[in-house]
Amino acid sequence: MRNIFYIARWEFSSRFKTRSFLFSTFILPIVFSLLITAPVYLITYEDTVSTKLIGLINNDDNDLLEKLQNHLNQNYKLDSGSPEYIILPISAESAPAYISAYNDYISTSHQLDSLENAYNDLKQLREKYYRSRTIQNKQYLLQKSYDELILTREHRELAEVDLQYYKNHLDSVYNREARLAADSMLVQKILNAYLVIPKMVYRAGNIEYHSLNPGELLDAERMQKIINEVIIQSRLQEASVNTIQISQWLKPVKLARYQLRTKGSTRWDFYIEFYGAVIGVVLLFMAIFTSGGFLFSSVMQEKTNRVIEILLSYASSRQIMAGKIFGLGFLGLMQVLIWLGITTIFVFFNLFQAGEISYLNAENGLYFLHYFSLGYLLYAAIFVAIGAIFSSEQEAQQVNIILRAIAVLPVLLVFLFLKEPDSGIITVLSYIPLLTPYFMILKTAQYGIPLSTEVYLTSLILIVSIIGMVFIAARIFRIGILMYGKKFTLREVMQLMRSS
Amino acid sequence: MLEIQHLSKSFNSTQALDDVSFTIHPGEVFALLGPNGAGKTTAMRIIMQILKPDEGEILYKSEPRAKLKRNIFGYLPEERGLYQRSKVLDLLVYVGVLNRLSHHRAEIEAIRYLDKLGLVDYTQKRVSELSKGMQQKIQFILAMIHDPEILILDEPFASLDPVNQMILRDIINDNKKEGKIIILSTHQMSEVEFMADHLMLLNQGKSILEGSLDEIKSRFKENAYYLEAEKNIGAIKEIRDIKIIEEHNNSCKFAIDGKETSKEKILQTVFQKISIKKFIEQEPSLNEIFIKLVQSGASESRENT
Repeated sequence: MRNIFYIARWEFSSRFKTRSFLFSTFILPIVFSLLITAPVYLITYEDTVSTKLIGLINNDDNDLLEKLQNHLNQNYKLDSGSPEYIILPISAESAPAYISAYNDYISTSHQLDSLENAYNDLKQLREKYYRSRTIQNKQYLLQKSYDELILTREHRELAEVDLQYYKNHLDSVYNREARLAADSMLVQKILNAYLVIPKMVYRAGNIEYHSLNPGELLDAERMQKIINEVIIQSRLQEASVNTIQISQWLKPVKLARYQLRTKGSTRWDFYIEFYGAVIGVVLLFMAIFTSGGFLFSSVMQEKTNRVIEILLSYASSRQIMAGKIFGLGFLGLMQVLIWLGITTIFVFFNLFQAGEISYLNAENGLYFLHYFSLGYLLYAAIFVAIGAIFSSEQEAQQVNIILRAIAVLPVLLVFLFLKEPDSGIITVLSYIPLLTPYFMILKTAQYGIPLSTEVYLTSLILIVSIIGMVFIAARIFRIGILMYGKKFTLREVMQLMRSS
Repeated sequence: MLEIQHLSKSFNSTQALDDVSFTIHPGEVFALLGPNGAGKTTAMRIIMQILKPDEGEILYKSEPRAKLKRNIFGYLPEERGLYQRSKVLDLLVYVGVLNRLSHHRAEIEAIRYLDKLGLVDYTQKRVSELSKGMQQKIQFILAMIHDPEILILDEPFASLDPVNQMILRDIINDNKKEGKIIILSTHQMSEVEFMADHLMLLNQGKSILEGSLDEIKSRFKENAYYLEAEKNIGAIKEIRDIKIIEEHNNSCKFAIDGKETSKEKILQTVFQKISIKKFIEQEPSLNEIFIKLVQSGASESRENT
């Protein structure tokens, strides 16, 4: 026992102050966290930097523009206080096609006016004829004026049809020309997007949203929300509901998500849950592979520089192995404790509102320590065995890469996990000893509800695997460590495991 | 008394040691000789309990090896490696503590040895900053820091300069005077002739020669003599039962090969006939015995296969 302690102390102290330990304890977590969170930060916040112009093609004569602008100003502001969105009316009134259509319309309209006048004149004339007692040829004049009246009325009716046609034509030209203008402004990036308001929008309620990048979900969603508000408000006004009531009725409903946990329900925030889980798993991975990596290189180096012979003279191979595993395990524990300490400081001083993040509690800290310890022991036994079998670092690195790939798997599966933590595949994966620690960290952070059966069962599986693996590793270690420059085949490794 | 009894060890198809036995008394230096791959290092590793023998037993003061405390032994492995990044004193204290020294005591012993070997200025240096020779001295200290009763030194003189060889020899002699058991292996026969009390020649895992230095030398004595005379030595050729090995003007090397007449009588005749200036009995050097035995052993085994 004394030798295990001395070897452990030696391994611990000769690694504790090394640059690589300090780096992986203090620098790497920061780098990792930044790498993980930076892209999302960029996606979410990049667009709010400057004011956006939203075009508006209004085919209805109403005050929608003003109302939209007011609502947008109330809801979305830049940090500087200026409005985030400015509505720009798009008109086609100066377009040649529109002007010519407009002229057609106006001349038809004038024509209609003059026909209307002529008709009215005729009517008055006939009335005059009718009332007159003195006029000669009264009968003839009435008959003639009647024919003229009928003719004029017919002309007027036709002119009305013409006018309607020109009116429709004018509208469609307007619409077309306005869209052309808006499209070119969109292409020139003057506009971020434009809206097309149809006639009778208050009743129909179909509005088009045009943009170059349909992926700009944020803007489209906001527009929909604001237009909705404006239109419903207008409909209510039309129904002569008073303004105070409208604003009360339209008070928005906010949906806050809550999740059931051990200590009551807590707020649920996708970003916090997602990144919290990813960072937790990455930290666990880093802790296991930092000390595991030290263990591995320690065995490799002693085998390569033959220090192992000196050690074997004064301590048994079991003592050496145990000393190394425990010494470097304490190193990893130290790393985890440093992280937990830093987290506690964050929570205590409520930096980043860390105090509101539900999974940052002492219980989960203990779970982290628990699964780190078990996970480390399992990986440590494997590393010791691999370190003892291979006699060059390159060979052993290849196996190491495979192990890392296995351990990174949960990080990649976090999405799947968050979507459906109870799915069959997650449950199956979380009982595979090499993956258990990672998935259990995800689960404890995710649920917070008592997982007692699962914790006991996974811990039991892990402990059994650790005992088995340590047993195998001890045999491989004892023999492999003295085999220099020899490449082992899989069959020989199996033989080593079987032989005493 | 350290008794090595009938050690055998094989690796796969190779017989590394084949029924090797020897006994060493306190205050004796025992040398294991032999060509590369003869089994010297394997024997040492078995004594150090790094390897398990297939057969055989090791007894010290009649106790079996497994019951002995590890710190009775001190070991200098053939393969020289150290933790390159650790500090000299830390490393020495670590091994001292592993061998049941208190931390304080280990520090004192480490500094004492560093001082003795002229390395006291390097106490706080990293091992990687030391020259190869210095690192080798650190390894000697690692083998001896806990004052073991049995010192096992695999090729202790390899790649040491003459001055350091001398220092090491003095240290070994000091240990010998203290009544310790010292086993060393070497290729350097001159060192063995200087120091070893007892030796064993191994070849292909087998002991092909064993005994004290005097015993072996007399066993391989060829009854050869070197003679230098005042004048011409032509007269020697007339003496019966003498075979001239080498002849120069005033000197010659000869062997007595008569069986009937006694050695003394023949030599008397030689002294009567020639006025002698110098007369030396020629002993075979260990080097000659070594080469002769290994070569004949190798040819034997070649014939066998």
